[in-house]
Order: sequence, then C-alpha cells, then structure tokens
Amino acid sequence: MKVTITGGKGGTGKSTVATNIALLLAENYRTVLADADVECPNDYILLNASLQDEREVLLFKPRFVYSKCIKCGLCKRNCSESAIVMFPEGFPFLLPNLCSGCRTCQIVCPVDGAIEDDFRLVGHTYRTEIEKNLVLITGMLKEGEERSYPTVVEVRRRAQKEEADVYLFDTMPGTGNHVAVAVEDSKVVIAVTEPTPLGIHDLEMILKLLKKLEIKGWVVVNRSDMASVNHRPVVERYGAEIIAEIPQSEEVLKSYVKGTPLVRKYPNSEIAGIFRDIVKRIEEVM
Amino acid sequence: MEIVVASGKGGVGKSTITASLVQLLSHKKVAAVDADAEAPNLHLLLDVKEWEEEKEFVSAQSARITNRCTQCGACDDVCIYEAIEIKDGIHRIKDYLCEGCGACRAVCPVKGAIVIENALSGWIRVAETPHAPLVSAELDVGRPNSGKLVAEEKEIARGWVKEGKAKHLLVDSAAGIGCQVIASISGADLAILVSEPTPSSLNDLKRMYHLTRHFGVEAKLIINKDGINPSYRGLENFAESKGVEIIGRVPYDEAVPGSITAMKTLIEYAPESPSAKEIVKIAEYVEGWL
Repeated sequence: MKVTITGGKGGTGKSTVATNIALLLAENYRTVLADADVECPNDYILLNASLQDEREVLLFKPRFVYSKCIKCGLCKRNCSESAIVMFPEGFPFLLPNLCSGCRTCQIVCPVDGAIEDDFRLVGHTYRTEIEKNLVLITGMLKEGEERSYPTVVEVRRRAQKEEADVYLFDTMPGTGNHVAVAVEDSKVVIAVTEPTPLGIHDLEMILKLLKKLEIKGWVVVNRSDMASVNHRPVVERYGAEIIAEIPQSEEVLKSYVKGTPLVRKYPNSEIAGIFRDIVKRIEEVM
Repeated sequence: MEIVVASGKGGVGKSTITASLVQLLSHKKVAAVDADAEAPNLHLLLDVKEWEEEKEFVSAQSARITNRCTQCGACDDVCIYEAIEIKDGIHRIKDYLCEGCGACRAVCPVKGAIVIENALSGWIRVAETPHAPLVSAELDVGRPNSGKLVAEEKEIARGWVKEGKAKHLLVDSAAGIGCQVIASISGADLAILVSEPTPSSLNDLKRMYHLTRHFGVEAKLIINKDGINPSYRGLENFAESKGVEIIGRVPYDEAVPGSITAMKTLIEYAPESPSAKEIVKIAEYVEGWL
C-alpha cells in the first residue's frame, strides 16, 4: 500500500511526520520510506542516517552524428523545449540544459543512426537500511539541474523494487507535476499544514490536486496552537478530513534539532501518541 | 538591482523577511516578485485585496489521445513521464503529468490518434500593494515547468524597471533548488539566503549556496529563528568556511506567527518586537547596496 505525505507549503513538517510514522510502521510492517523531495531531501538527516548504495540518474540526450545527418531540420522543429539550434552549415546543435530527454528528436529523425544515445547525469538515488524493517530510498537532484521530475521517477522505481507492506512517500513542497508523480496511486495522502493564512492557502492548492487525482485527503495540522486560523471550511470544501492536530512542543523542537526522531527520543510523549494514532488510521485502510 | 531571497528549505521565513524588506525599502522604489508559483504567499502578507490584472499563461502543451487510437501501446513505451495509463483497455494521457514533449505523437502509427494541444500553465497576476507593485503567479495544479511562470514574472518586473515604475527588484524564491529557484536567481545581482539553525536547514543551505556559485551570484546569509537551538554553530561554521557574510540574526518571537495570521508585514504588525527591529537593521544595511 502506498501512503504519501505532502502539503503544498514548505516547512510545515512533512519530513518530521514522515520519518516518525515510518519508524512506527516499521514496528509491525516491512516499510519503505521514499524521500521524493529530491531538491532538498532531509529524511536521512532526521533519521540520523548516511546515504548509501549510490546510483546515478541518467537522462537521455541526443548525440548528432554529423556524417549521417541530412540536415532536414526535423529534430529542431519537433523539439518542444527549443533545445536544438541549427548551425549555419545546417547541422543541429544541442543546448543540453534545455533538453528534457524525451527522445522526440531521435524518433522523428528519418536517418538510421544519425542521432545516437547519449546521457547526462541529473541526480542520484540512495538506499539505506535504517533498521530491520525500514529501508530509506532517497533521491537527490544534481545542483544546477532544473528538472527534478526524472529523479522523482527514479525514486519511485527504486522504492517499488523493494518488497514491503507499506510504501511511504515524502514529497517536495509545491503542487506541480513533480509532486503529482510522487502522489499518484496512493491509497492515502496526508497533507501536513499549519494554521496560518499561508498554510491554508497552499493546503487548498494541494487539495485541488488531490481532487484531480481522485484521492481523498487527510489533513494533519502541525503547530496547531501557533495561530488560530480556521482551516475547516477549506478542508470540508474538498471533502478532506482532519485526522490529527499536533501542538508545538519542546520535544518536537529538541528531537528535530538533535537529529533523533521524536518517537524514539520521547516514545511516551503526547506527540508520540498522536503519531501512533495516525498510524492506527493508516492500519485501518491497509 | 535585483535581489533574490532563497533558502533551499521551505518554511524558514523567506516570505516574512521579503515582505518586511519590501515595506522598509519602498522609498527606494522596489518592486516585489513572488517567485513561488506552486505555493504563492507573498500577496497574503502584502495586503493585496484584489488583483489589477490577471492573465492566463500558456507555456507547455499537453497530449490527448483521440478515438482513432488502436491501443497499440507504442506511446506508453516512449513516454519518459510515465504519463500514459490504460483504463478499461483504453489508453489515456494523465494530464497532471504530461509535459507535451510530443514523443508519443512521434511514435504513434495512426495519423490523428494523438494530438498535442496548448494547455493552461497557470495565471500571472499584478497588484499595486500599499508598499510596492507586486507580480505573482499561480501554477495550475499538476502542470509542469513552474520555472517558466517565474521567468515570465521576472520579464514583467524588469519591464517596470525599464519604464521607471521601479528601480530595484526583490524576488521571493520558492523552496528547493529546481526550475523555479534557477529562474529566480538567473540574472540576479545578489542572493540573500535565509536559514534556521537546524541540521536540515543547513543541509539545504549548502545546496542553495552551491547553486548561487554555479550561477555566479554573490550570497549573503540571514540566520532566522536565531536562538531556537542555542548551542548549534553549524550555520556560523559554514558561513565562515565559505566567506559568506551574515547580515542579520532574526530572533524568533510571538510577533512572527501573529503577523502572518494578521496578514500584515512584521513591521506593520509589531514594529517594536525584537524580530522586527532586527529586520529594520538588515533593511538599512541592504539599502546601502541599492
């Protein structure tokens, strides 16, 4: 079963919720935590783990074989990213940073072998065994690379190769297709938000996305006592449900800054109890 | 001058700090750019009651499979976005993933079975706030390439500078280090990086800093929520090792969530709070560069 933690706004506590829930799930189930926040992955830091078993994420790019090229220009005309320009002599030339790796140029090229496969490195994935029942898959976008989507897809592929009962995904902030690709096919999506006008505004955007994907949203209101904005109207409008409210506490902050997950450092605290209740809700739909 | 406020990590205070800087520097004719099209929030703090202009923005296309499809599956084999699904034996495009690259149409053996159509990317909006003109954008959920919306916003704001409507731009970047952030820092004169004293924030700050180096933009650092982790020296050590100047340390106090809830800048909401006073100092310092 796939469960996804997302939220729209950044810094609402997605990774804190994801890592704590992963540890609790792993007490009874084989669990994979997939850190799909490939631009800024932090689950390994919150779990005090190292990144291991590195693999490259490679994206196709065309290599033009000028001895075979007939200068027809079809590759340039069909490139949706305008990543191909023509030299004055009529040969194509690639602007690699614009290339999306879609292969359309190679597909439309009428000459066999005039466009060969080449690849560029856009990111890495890692696999870390956190404990007996918990594997962490991490995606890390290469710095300077614009496209996070291919690395998110690789995280998804690598996570799904694991044998597990629960696949728990932690997404990027935002609402674009690089979030949608991590969210789709989830049985349950938990949107972590905060009770401020900013949190609610971005929550509405992510609930809109879930509606499009026809997935019911569960909402966790983090730092529920930091402000008093009423999120219920938005939650109700999208048919979502608030499943937990997490107040601010010294324990959350301390475990966060010390790099020991709360459910391990303070297993008997009120907040650990709230995380256990969330896990119970997940178990009910398994 | 074009200044971008960025952080890597989300929720560290970019918009709070940017909104206050916009207010404090309004006499220098700044304009504000909300460069987070996937979670735009700056307008909420700059008291925008209604938008003066709103336009639809189309940058990416989207594929559609028509009823001429013979269900051969060639498209599914080439789609790098994994955007093609088969439901009840029928191939369909998941429009929340498709970027309209056209690879599916190129391999499709049946003419007219796949069409590529213009698709809405999102909306670009402009408002005159009490402090400065603002350009903001909103990505339609599940669409690709929010970076192109940001690039368009910057075009508009740079137009204001050319017309003389503004002299300087303050750009509130998105979280992360991807397309939106790259669009935000490309062509900027200076990056103000905001970080909080936690290992996660430091981790993301390092990635963000490398991005500024990659694009040749000078970086300065603001430590926000200073004091929440008193024994932590990670940010200071990093700044020192890279020669990055720390231009302010904003303490965390109750005025910060209060101002966000009241939808005001920190300066309007609680000018005497320690956090607001520190941002005033930072603004005076930044003013020296303008």
